[in-house]
Amino acid sequence: MPTVKNWQLGRDMAYPYDARYPERQFAFVFNINRCIACQSCTMACKSTWTFSKGQEHMWWANVETKPYGGYPRWWDVKILEQLETANPGAQVWGGTPGDGRLAPYGTFEGQTIFEAAARALSPDSARVLGYLPTDEEWNSPNIYEDNPVGKRGVRNALDDTGVQLPVHKTWFFYLARICNHCSYPACLAACPRKAIYKRPEDGIVLLDQSECRGYRKCVEACPYKKTMYRGNTRTSEKCIACYPRVEGTDPESNGEPMETRCMEACIGQIRMQGLVTIAEDGTWAEDRYNPLYFLVHVAKVALPLYPQFGTQPNGYYIPPRWVPRPYLRQMFGPGVDLAIENSISPSRELLAVLQLFRRSNRIIFRYEIEEGPKIYEGSLHGRKVELYNDTVIAFGKDGRELFRTTVEEPVHVRSNAHANSI
Amino acid sequence: MSYHDPEPEDPQELVGVELPGDEAVTREMAATFADEFAQLGLTRIQILSLYRRAEYTGAHQAWRLLGEDEIARIVDESLAVYGRFVWVVTDGPEEVAGSVAQPLRLVRRGS
Repeated sequence: MPTVKNWQLGRDMAYPYDARYPERQFAFVFNINRCIACQSCTMACKSTWTFSKGQEHMWWANVETKPYGGYPRWWDVKILEQLETANPGAQVWGGTPGDGRLAPYGTFEGQTIFEAAARALSPDSARVLGYLPTDEEWNSPNIYEDNPVGKRGVRNALDDTGVQLPVHKTWFFYLARICNHCSYPACLAACPRKAIYKRPEDGIVLLDQSECRGYRKCVEACPYKKTMYRGNTRTSEKCIACYPRVEGTDPESNGEPMETRCMEACIGQIRMQGLVTIAEDGTWAEDRYNPLYFLVHVAKVALPLYPQFGTQPNGYYIPPRWVPRPYLRQMFGPGVDLAIENSISPSRELLAVLQLFRRSNRIIFRYEIEEGPKIYEGSLHGRKVELYNDTVIAFGKDGRELFRTTVEEPVHVRSNAHANSI
Repeated sequence: MSYHDPEPEDPQELVGVELPGDEAVTREMAATFADEFAQLGLTRIQILSLYRRAEYTGAHQAWRLLGEDEIARIVDESLAVYGRFVWVVTDGPEEVAGSVAQPLRLVRRGS
């Protein structure tokens, strides 16, 4: 099996195909600290792409309550368990998170889903460790997560206050998910028809419906379970990253690359999506003032979801700061502690970049900061806080300014009717 | 709808799992939401309504466990920092020669 460079793992790894990298890569950052599970993203995607007969169970975008839920149910627990069974006690990280682009989270010393498959599966044609979820696991997104039905001990009655069951007595958080458009897609690796391909211009992973014969190898292989089978067409389908919008061919975009529907619909403003430049070796080329590059490689507040699976996912998350660290380290890797430290005490530049989230539906390719005077100094949660009247300016693909954000002290003007009121 | 007695053999049966957590974790979650939404420019009333509404289970759970007064204190603490200023977003100029950028939206207002 060929080897490819996986910078998220800090090492080379086995992958069924030789490495080929796109010019740019579709990528996104979700700030979990802001997500309230309003499901606006879920419904935006559903009403755009998966509203047809045979797609009833399909949620390309979903928000699930961790650690209680998942869609399909237990997707992450199951694949983690499979990996642990294949490589008992050795799914660990070594080294220390560093500054470089090549091994920012240290080195993963365990096995990826590709490496475990080579050792644990037969026949040789089995390329990826995975499983096929049952119909029951697919059919009820969010069931028993935090949508309860009645009070404990009271049957056949809904709670009349709207709070229907005893709530979870401990921590939880909301995990918004779409296809990660991985750099080394497991779905692509597993497809015996070669019906799945990664676009060279933007790294979006697409499934060719005319080539698909519905073997569901992709469904079995994707560790994030974001490829789904459609019974009435007998083919599989997956998130297409709203590619007409990303291309700028959507009529609304006027030729400018736009963010996807799920990003645009996010009322919590947790999401930013863009295109990052890929270097010849498959790492992110240095692009200091691309906001995604800044969040992942400079501020180091955004981390990949389950990087140990080995697909090099392109979805990044600012981890929830209240959740116990061992759980977060399993989910986002060893960079968690630094990410939370940096997001609790945001730098001047990070505070400015966080203001870029959801101010426009156009893809931001570059930002600039015009520094202003300090306007506040104090403390919050026992930490020093300094705020500056900086102006952060976002630029689109062609270098045109999309918008700028700045701060002003509020001015309250009395209406004429109450001009002399006290 | 789980109105029947538990059936351990049923793969759809809810399995209760207790995980470590305490009031400090809930308080941290509440403070995180307050900080984030204060940074986004929501008003005191808007942020408090987020906690009061049962639809937003995470925030609402904190409201139930900590109480209205404590949540209000947490929100005020965040707004004392991030709610001091009005954040203004100005869209870039249209591609028309001579056009001037105008503030189109006032997205953030301090309490």
